[in-house]
Amino acid sequence: MLVLATGALVAGCGGQIGQNNDTPAQTGGATPANKNLDLVVGVKNEPFYISMQCGAEAAAKEAGYTITTQAPDKFDPTLQAPIVTALGAKKPAALLIAPTDDKTMAPQMKQIKDMGVKVIEVDTALQDTGIAVSSISSDNAQGGRLAAQTMAKLTSGKTGSVLVLDTKAGTSTTAARAKGFEEELKNSAPNLKSIGIQFTENEPSVAAQKVTAAISSTPDLVGVFATNLNTGEGAATGLRSAGKVGQVQLVGFDASPSEVEGLRAGAFQALIAQDPGMIGRTGVQQAIAAVEGKSVQRNISAPLVALTKEDMDKKAEFFYKTKC
Amino acid sequence: MTTLDGLPTAERRSLGARLLSANTFWIALVLLALIVVFSAIAPESFLTFFNFQQLFIETAVLLVIAVGMTFVIITGGIDLSVGSVLIFAGMISAKTMEWMSPGQDASNAGWGVITAGLVVAIAGGSLWGLINGLLVARANIPPLIVTLGTLGAALGVASLLNDGTNVRTVPLELRDSLGFGTLEGNIPNLVVVAVVITVIFGLVLHTTRFGRYTFAIGSNPEAARRAGIGVTRHLTNVYLLTGFLAGIAGFMSLAYFQSTTISGHTTDNLNAIAGVVMGGTSLFGGIGTILGTVIGVFIPAVLQKGFNIIGVQPYWQMIAVGAVLVAAVWFDQQRRRSQNKR
Repeated sequence: MLVLATGALVAGCGGQIGQNNDTPAQTGGATPANKNLDLVVGVKNEPFYISMQCGAEAAAKEAGYTITTQAPDKFDPTLQAPIVTALGAKKPAALLIAPTDDKTMAPQMKQIKDMGVKVIEVDTALQDTGIAVSSISSDNAQGGRLAAQTMAKLTSGKTGSVLVLDTKAGTSTTAARAKGFEEELKNSAPNLKSIGIQFTENEPSVAAQKVTAAISSTPDLVGVFATNLNTGEGAATGLRSAGKVGQVQLVGFDASPSEVEGLRAGAFQALIAQDPGMIGRTGVQQAIAAVEGKSVQRNISAPLVALTKEDMDKKAEFFYKTKC
Repeated sequence: MTTLDGLPTAERRSLGARLLSANTFWIALVLLALIVVFSAIAPESFLTFFNFQQLFIETAVLLVIAVGMTFVIITGGIDLSVGSVLIFAGMISAKTMEWMSPGQDASNAGWGVITAGLVVAIAGGSLWGLINGLLVARANIPPLIVTLGTLGAALGVASLLNDGTNVRTVPLELRDSLGFGTLEGNIPNLVVVAVVITVIFGLVLHTTRFGRYTFAIGSNPEAARRAGIGVTRHLTNVYLLTGFLAGIAGFMSLAYFQSTTISGHTTDNLNAIAGVVMGGTSLFGGIGTILGTVIGVFIPAVLQKGFNIIGVQPYWQMIAVGAVLVAAVWFDQQRRRSQNKR
């Protein structure tokens, strides 16, 4: 068993030549002299994670630490796990990670933790709370509630129906957004009625189709809440096709460049942006605190912010970046 | 009892008899029944001009892909790469339009730039079609594997072009003309384009030598070769045609969504294949019609739309659409089998 595990580790290293420049494996794990941090994000080339990386790199530089970022090609634990196991040979002082699965990634992360590397969860988290010393994430339900409050403001007291577009059934983040929205809508906009959550398979074409169907079946539709990028773009298309842009209020989630562009052009009336830069910065601060033996906060909730066309330029720091 | 038992009858059959035995007749009846049922349940919201207008718009892109897919499936092949080729075509077209615009912002680009974008989209789609065709026809690699390979490769190249994110600016002129513009009488331009393409390639398949060769290769490639048909060349052209149409579809999608939708279109290939097969085209090649494909593409679209309007729970929609898919093809096969026994 041990031989197998070692074999797997060596194989893991084999795939990561060139990233293991450090002297390998001092016995006794991390020492305060080790100022190397590693960040493993959820997927390559995603503006959300790039913004997180920017925040993390800035905070590490400030504190005199170095940070290396790696990313799997897809948001998939089978691609992320080898990256984590390969870190076993490098032994950074701390690992910041956005686990791509709340169960599957646990063994690999525990392995790293048992080598004395401090583990910090950023964005997503494991079900097993015994592995990471700190978790920083956006409160998705809070984001949904913020969306409902924003919807209430945008519709300014009108009576009507609201459609919620979720991605795929069983996606925990977008489900929490949809649920938070539906709950808060009852409080902050009692005159708005949700006509239920529709799934879009994360396909813009399906989102467009759901929106036009809702316009047919629900003449009093006044708002749509789209829980991520693809549903938002599809919903915007559906509204344009039906000639309802601006009449039906569209609240999107996240602030990717194309969505920000859409907000400026009037396709979206509001965006609920997370703060990935802050998640990255806080993650690094917590990691350094853990490495240096200072006190660490177990759970940190990153704030979300609503962007509208009027105030978007004042809040430009919340736009997601494609490069630092 | 096999098909060989019955001697071919030369007697002329009545129009009614021919209609009843036509492959597309029964499936058209299914489509009609669906429309009648939904119209009866929700007359105010389903049976409206708006609803059918949207239904046609939302099906236009898939229809163009499915027309190309019909040719490939009639040759006994398959093309899994269409969704990725569509994204590639949209991406390279959008990037070209951004490169040609001041400050990389194509929002206010004029018709010159848009035309260049169209040409690049079609060229990009055709290129992947040509690659598929050469690998299938000349290198003799099974089409399932070739197009599975290009499915990943085309998406990969599209991602490389813009660091894996969607292009930000798409010309507003393109959006307002092709994407959301209408002709006289509120007929959406997107639908007009899809209809014109469908009619043209329907005529190509059913009235030209190109079409006859396509059927001949699907029925028996060896016989086609001995009859003097350049099978390798023709097969390459069929895949090229599918790529060409995916390129046009990519440009249409770009105009409609104003986005390269890089993480979308993942099931376009399967939706197109399902539509083609429901329309009576045989997966083994040699049999098929464009009209059948049109009907086959609209069945799931009408089902989805109807279910959404009458408010069926989403989970039930998935089950029902899947069941109708399988049932439609099963009925069609049963009918053919009993016909062959006669």
